[in-house]
Amino acid sequence: MCASVKYNIRGPALIPRMKTKHRIYYITLFSVVLLGLIATGVFQFWPHSIESSSDWNVEKRSVRDVPVVRLPAGSPLPERGDLSCRMHTCFDVYRCGFNPKNKIKVYIYSLKKYVDDSGVPVSNTISREYNDLLTAISDSDYYTDDISRACLFVPSIDVLNQNTLRIKETAQALAQLSRWDRGTNHLLFNMLPGGPPDYNTALDVPRDRALLAGGGFSTWTYRQGYDVSIPVYSPLSAEVDLPEKGPGPRRYFLLSSQMAVHPEYREDLEALQAKHAESVLVLDKCTNLSEGVPWVRRRCREHQVYEYPQVLQEATFCVVLRGARLGQAALSDVLRAGCVPVIIADSYVLPFSEVLDWKRASVVVPEEKLSDVYGILQGIPRRQIEEMQRQARWFWEAYFQSIKAIALATLQIINDRIYPYAALSYEEWNDPPTVKWSSVSNPLFLPLIPPQSQGFTAIVLTYDRVESLFRVITEVSKVPSLSKLLVVWNNQNKNPPEDSLWPKIRVPLKVVRTAENKLSNRFFPYDEIETEAVLAIDDDIIMLTSDELQFGYEVWREFPDRLVGYPGRLHLWDHEMSKWKYESEWTNEVSMVLTGAAFYHKYFNYLYTYKMPGDIKNWVDAHMNCEDIAMNFLVANVTGKAVIKVTPRKKFKCPECTAIDGLSLDQTHMVERSECINKFASVFGTMPLKVVEHRADPVLYKDDFPEKLKSFPNIGSL
Amino acid sequence: MQSWRRKSLWLALSASWLLVLLRVFPLLRLAVPARPRAGAPQGWPHWLDIELLQSFSQPGELPEDDPQPPPAPRGGSCDWGACFDVSKCRGGGLKVFAYPVAGPISDTQRGILASIESSRFGSVSPEEACLLLLLSLEAPAGECSPLPQQWNGGRNHLVLGLHPNFCPQTFQLGQAMVAKASPTVDTFRPGFDVALPLLPEAHPWRGGAPGQLGQHSPHPGVPLLALAEERGGWRTAGTESSACPRDGHCEQDHGPEQTHPGATLPNATFCLIPAHQPDALHFLQALQAGCIPVLLSPRWELPFSEVIDWTKAAIVADERLPFQVLAALQKMPPTRVLALRQQTQFLWDAYFSSVEKVIHTTLEIIQDRIFGAPAHPSLLWNNPPGALLALPTFSTSPSDFPFYHLQRGSRPASRFSALIWVGAPGQPPLKLIQAVAGSQHCAQILVLWSSEKPPPSRWPKTAVPLTVLAGQRKASDRFFPHRALSTDAILSLDAQSSLTTSEVDFAFVVWQSFPERMVGFLTWSHFWDEARGGWGHTAEKANEFSMVLTSAAFYHRYYHTLFTHSLPKALRTLADEAPSCVDVLMNSLVAAVTKLPPIKVPYGKQRLEASPPLAPGGPDPQPPAQDCINQMAAEFGYMPLVSSRLRLDPVLFKDPVSVLRKKYRSLEKP
Repeated sequence: MCASVKYNIRGPALIPRMKTKHRIYYITLFSVVLLGLIATGVFQFWPHSIESSSDWNVEKRSVRDVPVVRLPAGSPLPERGDLSCRMHTCFDVYRCGFNPKNKIKVYIYSLKKYVDDSGVPVSNTISREYNDLLTAISDSDYYTDDISRACLFVPSIDVLNQNTLRIKETAQALAQLSRWDRGTNHLLFNMLPGGPPDYNTALDVPRDRALLAGGGFSTWTYRQGYDVSIPVYSPLSAEVDLPEKGPGPRRYFLLSSQMAVHPEYREDLEALQAKHAESVLVLDKCTNLSEGVPWVRRRCREHQVYEYPQVLQEATFCVVLRGARLGQAALSDVLRAGCVPVIIADSYVLPFSEVLDWKRASVVVPEEKLSDVYGILQGIPRRQIEEMQRQARWFWEAYFQSIKAIALATLQIINDRIYPYAALSYEEWNDPPTVKWSSVSNPLFLPLIPPQSQGFTAIVLTYDRVESLFRVITEVSKVPSLSKLLVVWNNQNKNPPEDSLWPKIRVPLKVVRTAENKLSNRFFPYDEIETEAVLAIDDDIIMLTSDELQFGYEVWREFPDRLVGYPGRLHLWDHEMSKWKYESEWTNEVSMVLTGAAFYHKYFNYLYTYKMPGDIKNWVDAHMNCEDIAMNFLVANVTGKAVIKVTPRKKFKCPECTAIDGLSLDQTHMVERSECINKFASVFGTMPLKVVEHRADPVLYKDDFPEKLKSFPNIGSL
Repeated sequence: MQSWRRKSLWLALSASWLLVLLRVFPLLRLAVPARPRAGAPQGWPHWLDIELLQSFSQPGELPEDDPQPPPAPRGGSCDWGACFDVSKCRGGGLKVFAYPVAGPISDTQRGILASIESSRFGSVSPEEACLLLLLSLEAPAGECSPLPQQWNGGRNHLVLGLHPNFCPQTFQLGQAMVAKASPTVDTFRPGFDVALPLLPEAHPWRGGAPGQLGQHSPHPGVPLLALAEERGGWRTAGTESSACPRDGHCEQDHGPEQTHPGATLPNATFCLIPAHQPDALHFLQALQAGCIPVLLSPRWELPFSEVIDWTKAAIVADERLPFQVLAALQKMPPTRVLALRQQTQFLWDAYFSSVEKVIHTTLEIIQDRIFGAPAHPSLLWNNPPGALLALPTFSTSPSDFPFYHLQRGSRPASRFSALIWVGAPGQPPLKLIQAVAGSQHCAQILVLWSSEKPPPSRWPKTAVPLTVLAGQRKASDRFFPHRALSTDAILSLDAQSSLTTSEVDFAFVVWQSFPERMVGFLTWSHFWDEARGGWGHTAEKANEFSMVLTSAAFYHRYYHTLFTHSLPKALRTLADEAPSCVDVLMNSLVAAVTKLPPIKVPYGKQRLEASPPLAPGGPDPQPPAQDCINQMAAEFGYMPLVSSRLRLDPVLFKDPVSVLRKKYRSLEKP
C-alpha cells in the first residue's frame, strides 16, 4: 500500500572510481590543459589590449576622417522594395538561430563616406539623430560587433531624411555592403520619406528586401508584419523643457497648431474656429516676428503670439493633420503636452501600430469628416478623455521622447516577431506604469468550477508524531473526494514506519522523504500531486469531520483561485506602534487562513517554491515559522482576492494553542507572527492581504430543517 | 607497464603540441600587421565632433512641407475611412439590413437572418440601415448570386461568407467589406475586411458546446504536443522533442503516440498547426479543447484579429525553426501555459462556440469602428466575459463594469441604491424603507410605483433621498436602466420584502467582494425533470441553489442595461407575461455572463414563513410559469444556471461567543 519515494538520495558519483595510476594521468593531462588555457589567456588579452587601446586613437575619431568609399558609376543597384515581403518569405531567421536569451543580435556597419565617380558625396555622412540612434543600439543588449553572429544588420548610411541624399547612389552604397545579400535582414531607418512633388509615403531608395522602419507609412506602402512604422522625431523634445501637466479639462477644447496646412483644410478649420470661438483655437505661422526669435517656437492667431509647444498644454484635443507627408513631428509634441491627438490623415499607419493601441490615446478622423470633428469629439465621455490624455503622455515618455526610445522600441518589435513566445504582452506595451502597479492579473482568471470527480490530494506534513499522523490519515481517508494522500516525512533522523504499520485506506498513500527539515517542503510541487486541489493538513488536525473536509473541497471548487481554510486569522494595523499586528482572537473579520488545514490550487505550490518574492522562502525555513502567512501573502498578491474561511470556529490544536500552557509562550508566538507580517509586507512592498467579513457555511447550516436531509450535517461539532 | 609508458609518451607529446600551438598562434597574430579586428571597434564610436553633427531635419524643413492636395482616390483598394459612409449610422448606431436569400436557403442562413433581425442591430428596411448585409455569395456550382439593387458599388455593404468556397467575384466587390473565413494575408484589407473563423459544417447555431477544459493547469500525464494531420485528425506526441523533426511532422514509430480520428478533440498542452489554409479548422478544434494552438507561419489572417489579442491565447511561430519552437514550448514557464490555456477557453466561449456568436462578433467589430473613440477598449475584448457581454453603450470606462476591478486596481463604490418595486396592492412599504434607509451604505431609495393606485403624496422622512418613479406596470420594467440609478450597486426589493438593517449591511459588504455576482437572501434551485423531459425549478429548501430572488438581492446596475438591451426580445416579453419569470431570467443572464452561481447570505427565517416575499404568485413549489425556464434555456441554447452549495455567513455567525463581540447581532436571533 505504501510506496516510499526517496528524494535527494546521493546520485552516482560523477567520476567513477579508478586506479591511482590512471588518476595521475588524468591529473597531469588536466593540469597541462589548464596551463595551456592560462597561457592562451595571457597571450590573447595582454598584447591585444595594448593594441586596441592604440585603436582608440583620438585623432581618428572624427566624422570627417572616416574612410571614403568611391562608388563606380555602374555599380549594381538593388531591386525596388518587394511589397509582398513578409517575415516568413523575406527574412532569414536562420541567422538568428537558437538563442537562449531570446534576443536578436544586431550588427552596425562601420561609418564610411560614400562619394560618386567624380568625388561628390552621396549624402551627408551622418546626422545627429542617426548617430544617436546607432549609439543607442550599440549601447543596448542587442548589439554585437561580430558580423558573423548577427541576425540583423543596420547600415550606417543615414537615410532618415530622403531630401538629404541622392537616391540612386545611396542605393548603390547599400548594395555594396558586405552582407547585403538583396537586403535580407537589413534594417533601414527613415523618418522623412518621399520628396516633391508627389511625396511617396515610403523611402524611395531601392532597398530590395530590407526592412524599413519608416515614419509616415500609408496602408498602401506598409508591409504589415514586416516593416515597422515609427514616429517622426521632433527635435523640440530635447530642446524644450515642458513639465508634465495632469489630465483634465483645459482652456481650449480643440487646437490646431500646425503651420503647413493645405488651404482647403485651413478653410475648414477656420470655419470651426468661427463657429466655436471660445473653445477652438486655430493657429498659424507668425508673419511679423522680429529677427532672432526662433519662429519654430511661435504660433500666431491674428496678432496674438503663442509659445509653441507650450500652447499645446492649453488644449484637450490637438489636430494632427496630414501635410505633404503623412507622418508629422507635431504628433510627438502633442502627445508630450498630454493633448489628445486628433489624427486626420487618411490611410496613415500610426507609429508602432503593431503593438500600440492608439484607440486609447488618440482619435482618428477621416479627412472628409474634418468639418464634423467638433461634434465627433463632443461625443467622447469626460472620463475617457482624461484617460486618453494620460495615455498620450505615457506613449510619448515611453516611445517618442528620444531617438533611443524609438530605436529600442523598433528593435523590440522585430525581436517579438522572431521570438514570439517571449514577446511583450499588450499590457506591457500599453499600460502606463501606474496601471501596471495597481492592476492584478489573476493567474486563474477563467471562471471555471472544476468537476467534483477530480478530487483532491491531501498533503500531510509530519515529523515524528506517528500516532497522531495515523489518526489524521484515517480521518481524512473518510472524505469521499479524497483521491490521494501524500505524507511528507520531514524527519531525516528517523525512518518512517514500516509499510505494514500504516493504516489501510482506500486511496493511494505515498510517503515522500525530504532531504532537510524545512517548512517549505510542505509547499513543494511534488510530481505525485495529480489533482488541482491540494489539502494541506498538519499531522495533529484530528478534529475536522469528514463532512467539514468534504464541504471545504466543495467550497474550493467554487473558489479555485483562493485559499480555502478552516482556522481564520486577521492582520491589524497597530496605530501606536505604526506596524502590523497578528490577531487570532474571535474577530468579525478574516484576512488569512492557516495552512494547517486549507485547500488551494496546486499552482500555488509552484509559485511558493520558485516565485516567492525576495528572501521570504529562505527566511521562513530559517525561522521555522510563518510558512502559512507567507502562503497567504503570495496568493492574495497574485490573485488580488481574499481567503475563504469555511465552517464555524472550533478549538484547534495549532501552534498558538499548543503553547497555551504558559501565557508568555503564547505571547512570544504572537510577537513572532506579527514580525512575519511586517517582514513580508516590506518584501512585497505592499500589504496584499484582503479583509472580509464572511465565511462559508453549507446552505442549510443551522437552519430549521431535518438534519438527516442536510448534505453536510456534521459541521461545527466540537 | 608498457602501456603505461606509451600513454605517458603520448600524453607528453600532445601536451607539447598544445603548448606550441598556443604559443605560436598569438605570435602569428602579432606578426601579421593587418589585424582583423582593427577596423571593427567595440561598439559605435563616440565622435569627437559630435556637437557639430547636424539634425536630420533642418529647422524650417519640417513645417515647410509643401501643402499638398488631398490624395487622389486609390484604385482598387479600400479602407474604412475611404469606403464606408459613417454618416448613415448617426443617431441609431449600427442598423443592419440583411438581404433575403434568393434560391434555396440553408438552416444556418435562415438562422443568421433571424438572429440579425431579432438582435439590437436589426432593421427592417434597407433605407434606414447603415450596413447592408449580403449573405452567401458562396456558390457550390461556381455561380454567384446577382448583386442586389441597392448595391451602389458595394458602399456600406458587408459580404458574409462563412465557408471558404467563396464566390470568385471577390475582387469586383469594390467598396464592400468582406467577412470570410480564414482569408489569406495577401488579400485581406486590415481594418476594413473582417476575418472569420473557419467553422465546421455542423457548427451549432446557438449556445454551442462549452470549452473542454476541465481544469486550469494541464494534467501531469497529458502529452506536450498534438499535431494536426492533413486528413483532419490529431496525433499526439510525447514530451520528447526529437519525436518531431524539422518539417513539423513527427516520426510514426516514436514514443507513445496515438492517432485520433478527425472528430475528437486533441488532448495535449500544445497543438501544432501547419501553415496551410485548411488547417484553420484545426485551429478552432484546438481552441475548444483548451490545447494552446501553435501556428507555424500561418498564411491566413487569424479570426477577428482586429480586436482579439491572439498573443494571449496562441503562439505564432516561424515554421523554419521547429526545433527552436519545440525548445521554447518545453521551457515555457507554467504561468504562461496556464494563462494561454485559460484564454483559449474564454475566447472559444465568448466568440466562437456558435454561429450566432460569430455573427454578433462581426457586427460588434463594425459597430466599434463606427463608434470610433468611444468603442470597446481592448481590455473588454480580451477579458472575460468578452465584448459581446460588455456593452459600450453602457460605458467605455472599464471601471464602470463589474468585471474589471482587479485588472484596473479599482473597487466598486461603497454605496448602493435601493430600488423598491411596488406592485398591485399599492401599499407603501414603510417598514422596509426605514430598515433600508438605516444602512450606512445606502445612498438613495427609489420607489418604482407600478400599482394602479396613485402613490401617496407623503412619504416617511428618511436619512437618504427618496424618489418615486412612475413604473409601467410591466415586470421587465423593474430591470430598466433608470437614469436615477447612479450607484454601482442596486438593492432590488419588493414592497412585501422584509429585511433588517443588519441583513442589508452584511449582504452589501459581501457584494463588494463579488460585484459581478448577485447576492440574495432567498433561493430557488433548478433541476432536470426526467419525467417531463424538461427543466424545472423549485422554491423548496434544498442543499443547493442556483437562483436568488430579485425581491431582495444586490447586484450591479450594469445588469439592468444588459437585461434591457441584450436579452432577446422574446424573453423580455415572456417576463412581462409571467412576472415570476423575471427571477429566472435575471439569474440566467447573470450566470451566462459570469459562469458562476449567485451568492446566498443568511436571512432571518421567522419571517420566511410569515410573509413569503416572493414575486406575485407566491411560494408555489411549482410556480405557474414553469415553462419559463425551458423557454429561457432554448433561447440561450443551453442551461446557464450554475448551482452552489454554500452560504456566506458573518465570520462569527452562531459561534459560541458573546453576542456583544458580533458585528451582525440581529442575524443571530432565532
